[in-house]
Amino acid sequence: GGGGGGSGSREAVERLVREHPVVVFMKGSPAQPLCGFSNAVVQILRLHGVEDFRAHDVLQDPDLRQGIKNYSNWPTIPQVYLNGEFVGGCDILLQMHQNGDLVEELKKLGIRSALLDAEKDQEKK
Amino acid sequence: LGSPGGPSRVPPTRGVCFGVPAVSPQLFLRRLSSLADGESRLARLLRDKFPGASSIKVVDISGGCGAMYEIHIESEEFRDKRPVQQHQMVNQALREEIKHMHGLRIFTSAPKQ
Repeated sequence: GGGGGGSGSREAVERLVREHPVVVFMKGSPAQPLCGFSNAVVQILRLHGVEDFRAHDVLQDPDLRQGIKNYSNWPTIPQVYLNGEFVGGCDILLQMHQNGDLVEELKKLGIRSALLDAEKDQEKK
Repeated sequence: LGSPGGPSRVPPTRGVCFGVPAVSPQLFLRRLSSLADGESRLARLLRDKFPGASSIKVVDISGGCGAMYEIHIESEEFRDKRPVQQHQMVNQALREEIKHMHGLRIFTSAPKQ
């Protein structure tokens, strides 16, 4: 249920989404994702050089698994939060990666995307 | 493939791989029709919820199990909305159906002007 102090309560989830600029709710862990879509999110972040982020494995916690869906009113996992705000799932992160929005959003968090440096290296060559 | 008796094999359509042997023709046809049923039912629902849609495409990407779908919708109703808002509209429209799915992929857009 959503009441009280359970790990799936609104308060508990709120604490988790705010604990770091980049928070991901996924299946499995970044080292070992257990779902293709969760893996895609981790790989996209890695491409941008974002290795420091909080990841929560919802398969380890059924209350959290339901709680995060209630919190964002979004039915699926993975879920990506930037600066405590729900950004979307795998499809949206992929779209943001492809259209350059992710670089911009990371910039707002004070994170410089590794892809910018990769571009610079390309220009030098 | 040596399955005994039965009517002649129906060739696969729509690019879905039916490479698993030992599926009887009857089961094959039942699966094919439930594949189409799931997709067309969702498409009908979406046409209902998005009357302004210029294009709706629903594809079962779970091998006909109805467990995972890919949804493509182009509609004026998405104009000037952030992608997450557009996807949220689809989530709301398919709220009940999503409860029975393992996952879905959503691709939304507004018609090019």
